[in-house]
Amino acid sequence: MDDRKSVFFEELGSIDWLCLVPALCLFCIGIVTVYSAGGGVAGRGAFFAVRQILWGLIAACVFVSFHVIGYRWFLNFAYPIYAGLLGLLFIVLVVGLTVKGSQSWLYLGPARLQPSEIGKIALALFLAKHLCRYPPVTVTALISGALLAGMSGLLVLLQPDMGSSLVYALMIFVGLIISGAPKRFLAGICAAVLASLPVGWHFLKEYQKMRILVFVDPSVDPLGAGYNVIQSRIAVGSGGLWGKGFMQGLQSKLRFLPEPHTDFAFSVFSEEFGFLGTALLLLLFSLLFWRIVDVGLRCKDARAKVLVVVLSSWIWFQMTEGIGMSMGVLPVTGLPLPFISYGGSSLVAISAALGLVTSVYRTTRKNYE
Amino acid sequence: MPDLRPVIEIRARFWRIVMMASILFLFIGLYFFQILHSDRYVKLAWDNRLRLVRIPSSRGEIFDRNGSPLAVNVTTFDILGYPLDLERDGMIERLSLVLSKHGFPIDPENLSATVKRQYWAPYRVVRVITNLTLPQMADLVADPNFPSQCFPMAVWRRTYPAGSLVSNVIGYAGEISESELRQKPEGDYVGGDRIGKGGIEGSYEDLLRGRVGEEAIEVDARGRRIRSLDYRAPVRGKNIRLTLDLGAQRLAADLLRGFRGAVVALDAYTGAVLVLCTSPSYDNNPLSWGVSAREWSVLTDDPTHPMMDRAISGVYPPGSTFKALVALAALQENEVTGATSYYCSGEYQLGTRTFKCWKRGGHGTVRLVSALQDSCDVYFYQVGLKLGINRLIEWGRRFGVGARTGFDIPGEAEGNIAGIEWKKERFKESWYRGDTVNYSIGQGFLLMTPLQIARMYAAFANGGLLVTPYLFGEGRNPPVHIAHSPENMNLVRKGLLDVVRQGTGWRAGTYGVTVAGKTGTSQNAHGNDHALFAGYAPAERPRYVAVAVVEAGEHGSSVASPIVGQVLSYLIARDTRDTAVP
Repeated sequence: MDDRKSVFFEELGSIDWLCLVPALCLFCIGIVTVYSAGGGVAGRGAFFAVRQILWGLIAACVFVSFHVIGYRWFLNFAYPIYAGLLGLLFIVLVVGLTVKGSQSWLYLGPARLQPSEIGKIALALFLAKHLCRYPPVTVTALISGALLAGMSGLLVLLQPDMGSSLVYALMIFVGLIISGAPKRFLAGICAAVLASLPVGWHFLKEYQKMRILVFVDPSVDPLGAGYNVIQSRIAVGSGGLWGKGFMQGLQSKLRFLPEPHTDFAFSVFSEEFGFLGTALLLLLFSLLFWRIVDVGLRCKDARAKVLVVVLSSWIWFQMTEGIGMSMGVLPVTGLPLPFISYGGSSLVAISAALGLVTSVYRTTRKNYE
Repeated sequence: MPDLRPVIEIRARFWRIVMMASILFLFIGLYFFQILHSDRYVKLAWDNRLRLVRIPSSRGEIFDRNGSPLAVNVTTFDILGYPLDLERDGMIERLSLVLSKHGFPIDPENLSATVKRQYWAPYRVVRVITNLTLPQMADLVADPNFPSQCFPMAVWRRTYPAGSLVSNVIGYAGEISESELRQKPEGDYVGGDRIGKGGIEGSYEDLLRGRVGEEAIEVDARGRRIRSLDYRAPVRGKNIRLTLDLGAQRLAADLLRGFRGAVVALDAYTGAVLVLCTSPSYDNNPLSWGVSAREWSVLTDDPTHPMMDRAISGVYPPGSTFKALVALAALQENEVTGATSYYCSGEYQLGTRTFKCWKRGGHGTVRLVSALQDSCDVYFYQVGLKLGINRLIEWGRRFGVGARTGFDIPGEAEGNIAGIEWKKERFKESWYRGDTVNYSIGQGFLLMTPLQIARMYAAFANGGLLVTPYLFGEGRNPPVHIAHSPENMNLVRKGLLDVVRQGTGWRAGTYGVTVAGKTGTSQNAHGNDHALFAGYAPAERPRYVAVAVVEAGEHGSSVASPIVGQVLSYLIARDTRDTAVP
């Protein structure tokens, strides 16, 4: 008993704190933000904050489990896990419930699951395993790998969840880069994507087209789709150097910002904590990303290297998009800002990813093995 | 397999540089927006030079089936201002003074509260004072002390020409309340907007409302408009033409005057509602213009409940009107035929209990048709027992008893046709045969709304179709066929015709049309019995169904049946008049 206990604590001791501490700080910033965005105790802020803390506890359990089980076990089952994801996404597509016109939720008893969030883990595992087994150095290997991985992205796109499918696409592309695809192939992919953009435009929904047009010029429709962008930009801009202070943000309190606790969480934060706050936020994110890649560089397992880099690309993309969107320099997609936006699925998925990263870190410490 | 690791590491370092570079870009971007903020809109908001005005859309109007107006708009004026300007020192006091001088006494506290209630952003317009006429507005604005930051805007207000006659049907449109605002999706409504409450105004809010327009303007430092930045025109709401017949409604209301009760008339085949009258009623005009808390409580505390629509939310024991259903159920289940006879001595002995017939001396030998005609209780006691409570309830449910009809205005009651389990749960008592006896003459725990009774009789009139009553949107819910044989149905209809020809309901047949129907008297624990009559006309080829319920009206035969007779006669006379005109 004692023995097992000590092993467990040893496992905990092997957590990569340099990776975890920034994440924990970001999570705390998130609690503060959703509390304020929901209007504090008077509004629904306290409700959001408590719910988010409860999700945080669940996420902590998920993190510890992934860390203790270790990435190797998950990689062993990468194919079945990925097949399971495809099945799940298919089910969601067929029977999923409609939330804001897109079918991305699956109800399992009291819990509401967003498979596309959890699916990012499965996709990363699949890419790490498959791309190291069949390196994309030949056209056949590259195309077959990209097609297999692209199936999940396509299912997510059909939901239709354009934001998440962009994350999937980026993860696949970064996976190909990291696993050593020749530069001319990568250039070819870029050219193909650029060439197909005009075709893709026709498949976009009206509101999605509007979001992009508005991004190009917010004054196209300042009271409609551009309204969010302008208001968010005002929120960010009016934060100034010091910010207006906790709970003092006007833009979010006065219902200027649409969905201040999810999509526009960053705008709330930056209005209340100003440039100093946002600079701190960026610092925490860069520490996290630096460390994740560092773990990949230290370990000896090629699959683990691909895994952590692909995971970092996902979190990075959502961070860039979330912040860029709030500033109005990127189109609105509705993706959650990692750690900050209100929402359980996203938090749990990111914790799982960090659990995998620190389990990779653990193998780099055990030199005696 | 070649060792991938060297190339992976090179590219991982490259990827790390890409991520760090992107974060640097974001950092520069944030510096740009948060420290240098030079965006045009940020600047406008920052300089307090952006203003948003909501332009209300004109609400769709409501008409009866002949085009008589039931809800129309009139133009009035609101005085608008921006919180930004109003919250400056002394502005509220100054405005309050000007308003008082022109006959609108409103103290500064109230004025601040009004502004606060609608506050959405410093630069979005709020309504300072509403419902001014053109001369009032002109007088006010011409005052040199009137602050130039406030301005008038022409808006619509609802008036209801038919007032209390159809207020239960129409509901009213008034200012949105805090709780309603919270229930609506973000951004659809803001404080000060108007929303339909109850009735047609509530059910068809989305259709009637149209789309609110909005304008963003740039103003100069003194609040004067420089130019329009963006304009979204308001879209007018759709007009609605109801199935209601205002003439028939007025007739029903006149007949009900002085009583508490309800009258409902339906098209027997489609479920289109022609009359939905409740008494006493209330005038919805003041409600749409805004009433004080005291005026409101006078309405809601009134012991006669004028705001309750008795036609759809009043529940009554159906009394003898339910016997037609019992008769049909017994025929369908082969428990009786037209020839089956019972002897009525004036009472029926069940165990130790004695159930009396309404006619003390008894009806003698009765068969189905004569039992309906004379409303013989003893006959139905025995038929009901033979049928059994479960089959009785099942047939009741088939005719829509105990369930909302799916009518398109809110507030419908379900009624009650609960059976054995319900009684056990509610009263911790088992079901007695005496309960079944009560059910078979429409008493006991049975409760129905006048609309449900009308719907049940529509099924007798049209030969077995259960219609969904509606006021707007024809064909929304096609009638459902409920099983029956034509012979059985004809037998029941013969009984209902004889009720009016030579039975208890003869008064309904004295208005020039052949009516078939059934009287009813339902026990009222709080006073005199309620009087009911349900019937349809013309008896040979039924077109309309009507039900009258008069609370504490004692006998259905004397009070309720003439009302139904006159309403049906009016509706049919109107039809022949319409067809006579080429």
